[in-house]
Amino acid sequence: MGIMNAVPGLLDPIPGGKHLVNMLDYVANWARANSLWPLTYGTSCCAIEMMSSSMARYDIARFGSEVFRASPRQADLFIIAGTITSKMAPALQMLWEQIPGPKYAIAMGACTISGGPFMYDNYSVIRGANTLIPVDVFIPGCPPRPEALFHGLLTLRDKILRESFRNPWKEGEAIDQPYADRWSEASKAWAELEKIKDEEQAEARRQFKENNPDYKSPYKAVRVKKDAFPEVPRPEAPLIGLSATDLFSIALEQDSSITLYNSDSNEISPDRPNDMPLDIIVSKEKYVELISFLKNDERTNLNYLIDVTAVDWESHFDVITQLMSIEKGHKLFVRVSLPKDDSIEEEKRATSILAEIPSISHLYPAAEWKEREVFDMFGIHFENHPDERRLFVDHDFKGYPLRKDFTHPHIMKRPV
Amino acid sequence: MSLRRLPPGFREENIDLDTEEFFVNMGPQHPSTHGALRLALRLDGETIIEVVPHFGYIHRGIEKQAESMSYLQYIALSDRQDYLTAIQNNWGVCLALEKGLGIGVPERGEYIRVMLAELGRIASHLVFYACFGGDLGGQTALLFGFKEREMIHDILDEVTGSRLTTNFFRPGGSVHDVPDTFIPRVTSFLKHLEKTMVDYERFLSTNIIVLERTKGIGILSKEDAIAYGCSGPVLRASGVSYDVRKNDPYGIYSQLDFNVPVTYNGDTYDRYVVRIAEIHESIKILRQCIKQFPEGPYRGQEKASIRLKPGSYYSATETAKGLYATYVVAVSGDKPYRIHTRGPSFANLAALNTMVQGHKISDLVSILATLDPVIPEIDR
Ligand code: SF4
Repeated sequence: MGIMNAVPGLLDPIPGGKHLVNMLDYVANWARANSLWPLTYGTSCCAIEMMSSSMARYDIARFGSEVFRASPRQADLFIIAGTITSKMAPALQMLWEQIPGPKYAIAMGACTISGGPFMYDNYSVIRGANTLIPVDVFIPGCPPRPEALFHGLLTLRDKILRESFRNPWKEGEAIDQPYADRWSEASKAWAELEKIKDEEQAEARRQFKENNPDYKSPYKAVRVKKDAFPEVPRPEAPLIGLSATDLFSIALEQDSSITLYNSDSNEISPDRPNDMPLDIIVSKEKYVELISFLKNDERTNLNYLIDVTAVDWESHFDVITQLMSIEKGHKLFVRVSLPKDDSIEEEKRATSILAEIPSISHLYPAAEWKEREVFDMFGIHFENHPDERRLFVDHDFKGYPLRKDFTHPHIMKRPV
Repeated sequence: MSLRRLPPGFREENIDLDTEEFFVNMGPQHPSTHGALRLALRLDGETIIEVVPHFGYIHRGIEKQAESMSYLQYIALSDRQDYLTAIQNNWGVCLALEKGLGIGVPERGEYIRVMLAELGRIASHLVFYACFGGDLGGQTALLFGFKEREMIHDILDEVTGSRLTTNFFRPGGSVHDVPDTFIPRVTSFLKHLEKTMVDYERFLSTNIIVLERTKGIGILSKEDAIAYGCSGPVLRASGVSYDVRKNDPYGIYSQLDFNVPVTYNGDTYDRYVVRIAEIHESIKILRQCIKQFPEGPYRGQEKASIRLKPGSYYSATETAKGLYATYVVAVSGDKPYRIHTRGPSFANLAALNTMVQGHKISDLVSILATLDPVIPEIDR
């Protein structure tokens, strides 16, 4: 674009040159505004609405943007559809840099404006695409409807049509202002607008009363009657596979030290609902032995791993292995209580591993990733795990998010 | 033992290679990875030896955030996990909360739930149909799938007020009743869908190019499918008849008459066939519901505040992708102590490595399409 940007300087002084520049502007803008080629970029929910808008019903081709390009080098419009996380942010910036200019960006959805539903109490979502790249048009909504996307496209079109070679396209500066400030300023401005609106409405109501002194509203407030909605009892769940009593007695055969979770005695009460899986506590040493017994025993046959997850209580972790028999259908939760390692100093606790448990990934291949998730989120080490790396957060992330005492500088507390 | 360092995730193995081994990165921004998924491939020529997925590019910390939200607010977040079946996720969360509250749902409420969930299932499978066709290179299928899906979204839009992120169910029922137009609209939609499905099936199911590219590709054996914790159509295509609606029924599924489609080859084509058959089963369920749709209250008595009894509650539902389980730990107050979601896509993707070994990269794309993963549900 270098030569073209020099054109106004050369032509404008010549008589009639202004008209020529205007004409060039007109042609170039017409061409750009009517065939914006978007980049196929979508990370989450909003991407589906973006896809919908390019399909048969909504047909984005009416606006000249049907050519979705998979490569940034062939695109000139970046529709940022979906949440931006801190792990994805570098990739997003790189994509933007790879798009040749003139280029435009549309931030689609609440997530790309402010973080949307993930604004507060969140350690990984970037609050707004404008903190990463310059954005031309913001489209609110969660997700915005395809019509809203088209409105955004048309708004962008208007913007492009007003551009000129005299004032060439250039990237704006990123706003250097903390996010919370902008929010508080906006809310102040908003509060003022609200006040004006309230005053205007009060004035209008007063006027109305003056003009119609005998007016009575035909509406009456109706309260929903209590008996319109019944108290529905929980339906009885059918028994599937072995009963809790049978499962417990079989598990006791292998390991007599197991206990029931959340119960004082080791007796299963007869009115226990069927849809509540049996939850047993086993010691760390006997854990693998018990699981492999339960998997291979013909009566229990717990061959399907639903999940491995954990809960952080203040003093200890609970690792819960959720098992099911795919043929018979009964479920069993095996719980191991892991005390937190007290030998680590106070400052280092947040970033160090506090407990250990043997891995069961040799019994259930499915456990491999689930255990990695628990390692990633809680900082519990799995002995003999084949591939223990961070799963969701970056490999150099400090801390373990799902611990109760986790703090992160990115977190913004929800105001109460 | 060689001295070179493998990229993270790859296992040290001695493999006989025909050509020089090299590594290719696919994603996180790639049109065929269905979102922000990154796959690292180890190749011999164009043949895949090993694939290592990397997650977290859309990790939104939902589980952490949920700990500072009330139970009802969390229902809105469950929409944003698997947004193609948002309505079914709502149901899964509500089931767990209902267990904790000890309440049930009136009959009409149950029917509303089943009907919306089955509509959601059809919508999700249509997106699968579209993406599967698109990933094989057929743009026509892409347009077909989304065309019928829009009609479902019209219905959802009218009932719930939102096309995608519905946030409609609450413990004890739903937010409000369905409008009078609901049943006629569903009826006419079903009539239309049954007719068009004939065309759609003819378009892909017997297409010679599709057959060549899918038969015998990406075989997942029954043992592997169970071992990797696969669920939903992926599991059923490998010959395991497990459907939560049948084997662990919730709602009123035990009163409805439907079959669980099962195929036995476990290849890409079978996974496609199972999903198409499931659309027909969903139509069957919807027809029964229309016939029996009862009058009466759509929800039970409202609670002043949702406070669960201390304890842990587990619920399992069958979404279009598979077993969606919610695990809620309640201590006190109206906030969960911990909420954990078991998403089906995460477990299904674990089987990817065994399925793609020895196939070409273009087959990886079609295999991935039949796993039908939704990445935000994996990363949460
Ligand atoms: S704005 Fe809403 S719909 Fe869009 S990506 Fe964010 S959460 Fe999803």
